[in-house]
Amino acid sequence: MASPPRTGRFALQALVVGVILVVGVAIAIFGGLDLVGTGQRVVTSLFPPEAVTTQGAKIRDLYTIVFFIAVVIFFVVEGLILWTVLRYRRKPDDYELPAQTHGNAIAEVVWTVVPTLIVAFLFVISWQTLNTVEIVSAQPDQKIQATAGQFQWTFSYLPADYDPNEKPRKEPLFTQLIPAGDDGGLVIPAGRTVKLYLESNDVIHAFYVPQFLFKRDVVPGRTNVFEFTVKPEDAGSTFRGQCAELCGAGHRVMLFDVHAYAPADFDTWLQTQITAASASPTPAPSGAAAAPSGAPSGAPAGPTLAVTASNLAFDPTALQAPADTPFQIDFDNKDASIPHNVAIHEGSPSGAEVFKGAVFPGPAKKTYDVPPLKAGTYAFVCSVHPNMTGTLTVN
Amino acid sequence: MATTVLHPAAPTYRSGLYDWITTTDHKKIGILYIVNSFIFFFIGGILAMLVRSELAFPGLQILSDQTYNEVFTMHATMMIFLFVIPMLAGFGNYVMPLQIGAPDMAFPRINALSFWMLPLGGFLILLGFVTGGTAAAGWTSYSPLAQDRPLGSTGSGQDLWIVGLTLVGTSSILGAVNFLVTIFKMRAPGMTLFRMPLLTWTVLVTAVLVLLATPVFTSAVIMLFIDRNLGGSFFDPANGGDAILYQNVFWFYSHPAVYVMILIAMGTVSEILPVFSRKPLFGYKAFVFATVAIGALGFSVWAHHMFTTGAVYLPFFSLMTFLIAVPTGVKFFNWIFTMWRGQIRVATPLLFAIGFLTMFLIGGINGAFSASVPVDFALHDTYFVVAHLHYVLFGGSVFGIMAGLYYWFPKMTGRMLNETLGKIQFVLMFIGFNMTFFPMHELGLSGMPRRIADYSSTAGWNDLNLVATIGGFTIAASMVPLLWNVFLSLRSGAIAGDDPWEGNTLEWATTSPPPPYNFDRLPEIRSERPVFDARHGPKSHALTTTDEH
Amino acid sequence: MTTDEHALATTEHNPVAGLSHDSTGGISNVVLGMLLFLTSEVMFFAGLFAAYFSVRAHSPLWPPLNPETSEAFHVEILPLVGPATVLLILSSFTCQFAVWGIRRGDRVAFVRNIAVTFVIGITFLVMQAIDYAALGSEGLTLASGPYGTTYFTLTGFHGAHVFGGVVMLGVVLYRGMSGQFSARHHDAVEAASLYWHFVDVVWILLFSLLYLLPGKTPQG
Repeated sequence: MASPPRTGRFALQALVVGVILVVGVAIAIFGGLDLVGTGQRVVTSLFPPEAVTTQGAKIRDLYTIVFFIAVVIFFVVEGLILWTVLRYRRKPDDYELPAQTHGNAIAEVVWTVVPTLIVAFLFVISWQTLNTVEIVSAQPDQKIQATAGQFQWTFSYLPADYDPNEKPRKEPLFTQLIPAGDDGGLVIPAGRTVKLYLESNDVIHAFYVPQFLFKRDVVPGRTNVFEFTVKPEDAGSTFRGQCAELCGAGHRVMLFDVHAYAPADFDTWLQTQITAASASPTPAPSGAAAAPSGAPSGAPAGPTLAVTASNLAFDPTALQAPADTPFQIDFDNKDASIPHNVAIHEGSPSGAEVFKGAVFPGPAKKTYDVPPLKAGTYAFVCSVHPNMTGTLTVN
Repeated sequence: MATTVLHPAAPTYRSGLYDWITTTDHKKIGILYIVNSFIFFFIGGILAMLVRSELAFPGLQILSDQTYNEVFTMHATMMIFLFVIPMLAGFGNYVMPLQIGAPDMAFPRINALSFWMLPLGGFLILLGFVTGGTAAAGWTSYSPLAQDRPLGSTGSGQDLWIVGLTLVGTSSILGAVNFLVTIFKMRAPGMTLFRMPLLTWTVLVTAVLVLLATPVFTSAVIMLFIDRNLGGSFFDPANGGDAILYQNVFWFYSHPAVYVMILIAMGTVSEILPVFSRKPLFGYKAFVFATVAIGALGFSVWAHHMFTTGAVYLPFFSLMTFLIAVPTGVKFFNWIFTMWRGQIRVATPLLFAIGFLTMFLIGGINGAFSASVPVDFALHDTYFVVAHLHYVLFGGSVFGIMAGLYYWFPKMTGRMLNETLGKIQFVLMFIGFNMTFFPMHELGLSGMPRRIADYSSTAGWNDLNLVATIGGFTIAASMVPLLWNVFLSLRSGAIAGDDPWEGNTLEWATTSPPPPYNFDRLPEIRSERPVFDARHGPKSHALTTTDEH
Repeated sequence: MTTDEHALATTEHNPVAGLSHDSTGGISNVVLGMLLFLTSEVMFFAGLFAAYFSVRAHSPLWPPLNPETSEAFHVEILPLVGPATVLLILSSFTCQFAVWGIRRGDRVAFVRNIAVTFVIGITFLVMQAIDYAALGSEGLTLASGPYGTTYFTLTGFHGAHVFGGVVMLGVVLYRGMSGQFSARHHDAVEAASLYWHFVDVVWILLFSLLYLLPGKTPQG
């Protein structure tokens, strides 16, 4: 080689252009898109959502400290890198070698000790927060068991003296079979401590509510426990939760809602549910049906349609019914210990709900009485598993 | 400087297919490693584009739930086990014996065997696509999901994955034995341990990690195989096993594997920065000790992948994880002060090395978030973690790999790569990379879990996912200038000569490409920069020996 | 720096500690390679042993009850375990005698001892097969719960390693009989004997674990 390739200028421009573009993209994403966003997002640029639990608030405080330390470190080191590269470029008349420094004992000690102190600080504050977040009291206000299975959550409300190590275990007072929606989900009293026992029927899942800033794995063969208290001012809110550990093909549909009720409302709600559950032989969900499912005592005028649910799918997936005539659905749930039902929505699964059959775990059968429907296309879905769908044509 | 172009050496690389298949020359095997790794890189890249395409918009458009799980499982498996790890082993294979002045590896035939297990293993893993579905339980293949059970992993894909990875693991172990014996036994006279180039040091530490960790992984997947096929009950609670046990055994390997995937890239950058700054590496010994420390600490942090299982002692693993930041920080300052007051030539290898520094810095910092256990409770298994691991493995390893490729390509082929195309590739890759993975921090913080095939259009994740997908395709586009560059260079690239970059280490003391026996004669080795010493004479050498290092 | 240089000088005779300036002296490549390979084998068995201890710690009873007969499994009654163990330990000695023989250049002693080791290795495998059959008739198989799984996995992988060792010994025996080894040139013998000693040590650990370690009874 006659001389080293003379490429400094273009490369430098490339680097600067690259950095400017990255910064620009970042600004566009976190500035512009927030402005034109749907307005429904809980995004607050590089921060987790505001915590709704007292434990989550502690985690968010910790996050804030870590974040600012990280940002300072990032700008110091990144700035040092870019400045060094820009400042000490080789000039055309650089024939003599630069000073061949091999090291500097003082500098090396400093940049070993300072990071050690920083991480020691981070470790100590993390440990302190961990200890407050992990506190589990012997007598919480409410004990609930969240049971994860492929691919749904059920929530059992437990008696106050429940102990998972006791054999046989105490029966739950009432089990919520529908994981999400207005008449399903995990209902909890705001301002009271809730102890959650996590159990899995099959594989590993994870209980995750973004606004709790918390998740915990649901591991078969062991009972994980944690405690949380939703802030009293968040009573009346709903938080979305989701399985966070890959659990198979239905992983993405393992959604659930957490409804925070004011304590008095919660007590009323729970009592109503327990009464309803003890009244019916199979644990019925809240608000069993939008239309009275067993109301017309006379023989139905319409036909009886047979639907089977097995391996988390309906069979058949296309049904036909006469318009303006009540009819029956003979529903056979073949999935052992997995709750299903049939609910009918206008047009598509996201359309308005016109009928909702009672949810029950398999293997079992139930007959639903469906009220007259106008001609048109409907979708039938399982209230527990939003990906179980079929079409119902009424004509 | 004066160039000696030795044409007689070149023709060995024009020999036929048979020669390539039967070769035991470490340089040819190194090139085979690199070419093979790139093939799997492109397969893994196509799978990544499928994932990004599916996630661009809410709703399932092109993949089913099951296929989506297969695709991201295969993406990770290809990229980790068949691209990054063997690619870096390929650099080790090609460069390390040259750097220590050895004629070949200690066991050339075992070297060839190690290589040929790789394409076979990769083929077996991918074979699942035509036998009714590949493994789909994630590259971690947690039990019980990876067990043969309804709604679990019933097909043969999971078994093919186990068999394929056992082959790949055996290849790694044999390769590690080979590297270690070569480094311990085959160094040229004068090449003491503390005169070894940094790449060789990182190969040494990596080989130790592989030797101690990979067999544990092999035992984990073999036990999983016994569970699946022979009625065993190691990991399935339904049969009296323990699901957490699998995670412990798996991560005992797979965390050190993260360092297997980054250390040699660090070594590559540590070769490039001194050469392009015309200065020695700042704090050579500190760098070596930091490398060893990372390797050692790497064995005590595995459970930081399991903070949310409720089954590990959190403070210990948190502390150890934080501590890894210290040797990593030492390395950063070493790199920066290597360039400080140097004469920096901003050629493509250096550009990628700077890309490595800037991106790996982010990967290190956002890793510290997860080391803080309570923060990890919020971030674990969300897209924040996906961002973190890609800043480490793409921003770190892949940028390091590209830097090494541009740096050693002239040595391997005798021809230069085009600088302009190289810079176009860098700019595309750098922008695409940040567009893809930076928004993922935000997605994770706002609650998007990883490994979901679809998300609700009302969750607020639409815009960022679309940006990430556009970025992903920008990365894919950056491969076009690379391939075109390699093609042009092989056809009509500028002749490189022995030492196009004014290198420091022994690989630049022989022809490009080197003869089968590597060296006609070696320069005297009195420091970690023998070729530098030979070029600049006794004056530079005096500097080297009087300075404290 | 100066202390390091000093350290380099004093370890000159020991190339494994690094720093050999020529590749001809000291431990041979093959023997070093085998030692490193055995390190990885140790880690492989460490993984299996860790699984054994974990599964054992999770079980309230050890050995657990046979689900079919509701009696505890009795592995200690196996007739051939004791003789097999004694034989395998003996074979380590004969193997070492063979190495010493070839180091002296005594090919006759070498071949004789390797042949004995080889035969003992095969005998061990046969005895283990008989034991497996006995356990099978008692209802203990790989699929009969954590106890059977760990027992057969650990002993099975050990057996596979014994088999690998027997193959190695067979090759060494064949090459020895055709006169390929001498006092100077016998790296393969050294390597094979290291491997055989490793297999022996693993067996001693396994034997202590599976037959000597007291079982667990419920709540003390």
